[in-house]
Amino acid sequence: MKTTDELIQTYLDDLKSALAGADKATVQDALADAEEHLRTALESEKADQEDLAENEVIKGVIQTYGEAEEIAQAYLSWEQNLPPALAATPAARRAAGSADANSKTYPGFFGVFADPRAWGGLVFMLISLMTGILYFTWAVTGLSLSLGLIILVIGIPFMILFLLSVRGLSFLEGRLVEALLGERMPRRASFTDNSLGWMERLKQLLTGKSTWLGLLYMFLMLPLGIIYFTVMVTLIALAAGFIAAPIAAIVFNVPIEAISYGEIIWYIPDYLTPLIAVFGVFLATVTMHIARWTGKVHGRFAKALLVSD
Amino acid sequence: MIDIQETHKKFRKELSSGTVSLALLSILAQTKEPLYGYQIGKLIGSPLGAGDAKAKTDSVTVKQGAIYPVLRSLEAQDLLSSEREMTDSGPPRKYYRVTESGKQALEDWTEIWNETKTFVDNVLGGDYQ
Repeated sequence: MKTTDELIQTYLDDLKSALAGADKATVQDALADAEEHLRTALESEKADQEDLAENEVIKGVIQTYGEAEEIAQAYLSWEQNLPPALAATPAARRAAGSADANSKTYPGFFGVFADPRAWGGLVFMLISLMTGILYFTWAVTGLSLSLGLIILVIGIPFMILFLLSVRGLSFLEGRLVEALLGERMPRRASFTDNSLGWMERLKQLLTGKSTWLGLLYMFLMLPLGIIYFTVMVTLIALAAGFIAAPIAAIVFNVPIEAISYGEIIWYIPDYLTPLIAVFGVFLATVTMHIARWTGKVHGRFAKALLVSD
Repeated sequence: MIDIQETHKKFRKELSSGTVSLALLSILAQTKEPLYGYQIGKLIGSPLGAGDAKAKTDSVTVKQGAIYPVLRSLEAQDLLSSEREMTDSGPPRKYYRVTESGKQALEDWTEIWNETKTFVDNVLGGDYQ
């Protein structure tokens, strides 16, 4: 005779295998929905059907929830219609029957300026210095305080609180990544099973891969943030400078220096400065392409570290 | 026999894919308080008047589990908003409510539904002889 928890777990396992091959985030959402429903339903049905054994009640609840195969299908078909914050999900792209819808939606070299993903990537890279510093400081402070206090009574509870905060921040960063980079991330925080004892839950927190990968992500965000921010600011400043060259030369009569060799300085003639502006526009477009590409790569990186199987 | 059942199932599924969204919006617009998934599932599974258990299972066109992806899809389209609340026992619950654009969508969709209904009723009523 299986216990209620085993029956629920069996159902969740079935659902997971029925969703094999689906987007990781969809699987996580589907499992969270199912677990919330089954446990909530069990609580309230138990009160209504006192004469039935608990595991009989849960069987009825699971039956009304629907077969794992059927529910998995429902998630898969809705996932295709689900617009994420900015752009199409991988599932929607598959449904559209095009392997690389990105380049087709915004064709050409200059089409990148119309692509929300490029702008999302740009904003993400610019704010990543700030979030990177925040995550890194939080991670270093939390970890060193946890280790330092471990010999005292408050060490263990402090460490638990810190690791819980890492999970919360990982979820939040996931929302940011989906909004700005368009990579599908979990829409619901994964919760711990309240029916488990606190020792069991603690074990999950300490041995769970997602806790430590989330912490690693927080550390890596500082160097990444510095690189992203520096590269973007440099490129934007350079492009803006080049574009402004003809205005500076023709309107404000500022000579544009080309080469200086000791005392000898060559200036670019005013009528050639529009060429510099053209180069500036080219550089700005390249910058947008870099932002879009980096955003895509970072989205995958974030998914690998922040979404657990 | 199995084939016919398969066809029925497929037809039912195709029909329900739009109507469930409309039903969920309508239920949430009618109730004053926000509801969580299980409550919505119970409401949708037991229409008014369906008292006995047999009638209940017969009237269910959508499995309770299938409403969750629809809820999330409606939320992603800003037609619903949600907030999580912790519970003493069990996992936190996600409460859904209709947004302003959800109310607008409900009006428009109801219009579309009425048009569709009239059209189908007319065809089935034999107006095309």
